[in-house]
Amino acid sequence: MNILKIFGRKPKSSNIAQQRLKLVITQDRVDIGNRDIKQMHRELAEVLARYFNFTISAAQMSLRQEGNSYVLIADFPYDNAR
Amino acid sequence: MGKVIVVTSGKGGVGKTTSTANLGTALALIGKTVVVIDADVGLRNLDVVMGLENRIVYTSMDVIDNRCELTRALVKDRRVEGLTLLAASQKNNKDDIQPEQMKAICEELRSNNDFVLVDSPAGIESGFRNAAAGADEALVVTTPDVSAIRDADRITGLLQHEGVEPINLVLNRLSPEMVRKGNMVSKDDVVALLNLNLIGVVPEDRGVISSTNRGIPLVHDNSSQAAQAYMRIAKRLTGQRIPIPEIREKGFFSNILEWFSGNR
Repeated sequence: MNILKIFGRKPKSSNIAQQRLKLVITQDRVDIGNRDIKQMHRELAEVLARYFNFTISAAQMSLRQEGNSYVLIADFPYDNAR
Repeated sequence: MGKVIVVTSGKGGVGKTTSTANLGTALALIGKTVVVIDADVGLRNLDVVMGLENRIVYTSMDVIDNRCELTRALVKDRRVEGLTLLAASQKNNKDDIQPEQMKAICEELRSNNDFVLVDSPAGIESGFRNAAAGADEALVVTTPDVSAIRDADRITGLLQHEGVEPINLVLNRLSPEMVRKGNMVSKDDVVALLNLNLIGVVPEDRGVISSTNRGIPLVHDNSSQAAQAYMRIAKRLTGQRIPIPEIREKGFFSNILEWFSGNR
């Protein structure tokens, strides 16, 4: 038996279910899939690269529910080590 | 003028038919006149769950095709006054009925009944659309698992699009023990995810299986927590304000009692 299991360190499956549901429900509601988000991410990166110097690999995008509304959070860290 | 309420879920097997049978019976037990409609054309089951399968002569299809008047197609439940069933045809399929036809049936029935409960088939296609066509309100039934919750959210979106309002949530088959151990999403988690008004929580109950075996809805014997939960939901549907109690975990003692009374 896994030692983590004995000490009950494994994350509760109910929390995992809740997190997974948050994501799929949000995507279902705004009718956008992972593929679209990735595509949008690439396109935004292309545009932003014309104006800023940033590390594309560190960029992140996610869709989140905040109360009754949805927020698209795009995090493109500016790279000033030019 | 009675209310037309569609009982739906998206996913199959979460307890739509059981909920329709029990809520219909519960409403009749508190003195309301109720028609339960099986909208699952081709895969009917509400008749067997209610123990009325041997008395079906006409179905909604016969009414639509003018082979029978609506009032004659209704099967009276002999266990409780004021409860009738409109069965679905087993020989047809879901596309043989149009939403307007279903709506017309609901309109006629609501004029002389307090409640019309429509048991929707699983899925989001024509069967669901027919079931929802005549409804003012909806009960979305879900269980605390990821697929049922996701589908409940999807069906909620479709109901909102159709202008069905209010949409109330029935959380079925909750196991307080599993929630406590962190192996099941809690009532509060489900409500937060779906953002719907919770109208009741029905605990997981093995009694449901034996009640279905017998064709006698659980609420006829008000001893189990699940039956009491359905009775409370029925009362809430009539406008009574009853708080939703926390479900008790079954203790050692009540398990022993159940074992002796042969309820297991």
